[in-house]
Amino acid sequence: MKAKKVLGDDADIVLADARYEQISKIIEASLVKGERKRTVTDVLDKVFLNKYVGIPAFFALLWAVFQFTFEASAPFMGLIEMLFAWLSSLAAQIPNEVVASLLADGIFGGLGFILSFTAPIFFLFFALSLLEDSGYLARVAFVFDKLMFKLGLHGRSFIPMLLGFGCNLPAIMAARSIEGKKDRLITILTVPFMSCAARLPVYVLIAGAFFASHAATAVWSMYVIGIVVAILFALLLRKTILKGEPAPFIIELPTYKMPTLWGSVLHMWERGVSFLKKAGTYLLVGAIILWVLSVLPWGVEAGSGDSLIGLIGQTLQPLFGPLGFNWQIVSSLVFAFLAKELVVESLGVIYGVGGEASIQAALVASITPVSAFALMVFTLLYVPCLATVGVIKKETGSWKWTLFAVLSEMAIAYLGALLIVGLGGLLGFS
Amino acid sequence: MVPGARQHVGNWPGKTVEKKEGSFSHKGVPLKLVDLPGTYSLTAAAEDELVSRNFIIEEKPDLVVDVVDASNLERNLYLTMLLLELDTNVLLVLNMTDLAKEKGYKINIDNLSQKLGIPIIATVATKGKGIAELKDAILKAAQTRITKKNALNYDKQIESLIDYLVAILTKDKNLPAKYPLRWLAIKLLEKDEQALAVAKTSAVSRELLEVVA
Repeated sequence: MKAKKVLGDDADIVLADARYEQISKIIEASLVKGERKRTVTDVLDKVFLNKYVGIPAFFALLWAVFQFTFEASAPFMGLIEMLFAWLSSLAAQIPNEVVASLLADGIFGGLGFILSFTAPIFFLFFALSLLEDSGYLARVAFVFDKLMFKLGLHGRSFIPMLLGFGCNLPAIMAARSIEGKKDRLITILTVPFMSCAARLPVYVLIAGAFFASHAATAVWSMYVIGIVVAILFALLLRKTILKGEPAPFIIELPTYKMPTLWGSVLHMWERGVSFLKKAGTYLLVGAIILWVLSVLPWGVEAGSGDSLIGLIGQTLQPLFGPLGFNWQIVSSLVFAFLAKELVVESLGVIYGVGGEASIQAALVASITPVSAFALMVFTLLYVPCLATVGVIKKETGSWKWTLFAVLSEMAIAYLGALLIVGLGGLLGFS
Repeated sequence: MVPGARQHVGNWPGKTVEKKEGSFSHKGVPLKLVDLPGTYSLTAAAEDELVSRNFIIEEKPDLVVDVVDASNLERNLYLTMLLLELDTNVLLVLNMTDLAKEKGYKINIDNLSQKLGIPIIATVATKGKGIAELKDAILKAAQTRITKKNALNYDKQIESLIDYLVAILTKDKNLPAKYPLRWLAIKLLEKDEQALAVAKTSAVSRELLEVVA
């Protein structure tokens, strides 16, 4: 007896068809479909799931999210900053010079500075929770899925990518639900381009310094660039080393619901608290290490070019010369390999106390707006943090792919920033 | 005796990749629940589907609670079919019946239950409707396993292929305790990776592969 004679080559499809046939028979006998009432969901989906309007509508909503984040968080940022400036001035009066400097410059100057960005992170999470709880984010996955499938990519990848807006780690782990090794790999390799919450403080600091009233738009553009780069990179992988056909997938679209304030606050808290935990542990240790590096060898001016942190920055600075980054920025980027918040933290330590305004003034004095935008793009695209590298290793089970991920992200970040500088030059900005 | 009931809840992909456990007691009977990744199918190709499937095969839960969107039966009953094929004790929960009503659907639950050969409970989970009935039904279904006839019979030729494979599989003494044989035979016909791997290491591998390969 040969199975092939009966079932042909696609036995799984033949059997699946038989099951669906049985299902429709059962349903026919037990279900009456009456007049369908037009629901709110139908009306909203006419817009949000529309072939042409769906994706632009998402980007427009995202823009509104950043306007809200900026406006709502500004007063809170000011308050937190005042608190740390005050603590820092108190600490500076401690008679022991080393303790005073560690507390004033390292802990309150570095860690305190990053903590003032708790406000935009929480407000962003609040806004995204509203979108998620309303049932809208599932629609976003759906419209991008259609686009990606047309491009030959696995549509299911966009859900992990959306999760990446919060933190890349769970997003990379969520790629497990994707069928097929190649599709899973493509997703794992592209998720890191999705802008996670840790990158937000960097954007807020730089955009606030250079782009004034367009700051929210500049931050928004990072999220858009992240999505575009992720899709382009996925396409490149699909056409070269990870060839294959995508499998269609079905996604359940929940009906729209009015999000509850309490529900969204709870959601925001769950996500935001992980940032606070990180601040209390890794970023605190980071601040101490950065401070040590900024005052050694003992006796040099803290955070100057003669300190260890200065030497690291100055050694690598020529590599970043074409991008217009000074050594202060270069050393902050080196430390940010561990976690992106360290860009802000190390700038806080290097430029010393004085809060956001004085650090922004120092940045404006040392780099051009085009380089500043390039810095945002670089921060967006290069390795998100050491923990993501670990998760990529765990999920791919291969050092080869992990190394590939790290190197490709570095290369894309550098090329992306270079492209910005080049375009900026062509367009006559400097 | 303490029966353990395990819950299976559908979800949109990306949310539950791993199983979660919890427990509660109803009418003094402690029940253990396991929330499996929500899927529409049970193939060996996707990791979340495999997690759910292996759990059911290996742990042999007393009951699988299959929670589906009542407003979308065509799509959701596919998983129910697969669960029945896996020879599990299934309780079907038609959730979101409010939405189905809004869409103008009238579901004859008794008829559906009889056709599928399993108990069915209707709920609106967001409003807590039907939850008390669900708990009763879980307890009852977990304690009294109904032996049902096959919910799905394929056409004669396929059925005789399945019977032929089952006859071969029965000869391997290790298999019947581990796998529902009819299910394993169907998966072999589908060239399911996991089933083929089982076939290759079995004592009757040559006979099996002769049919399937």
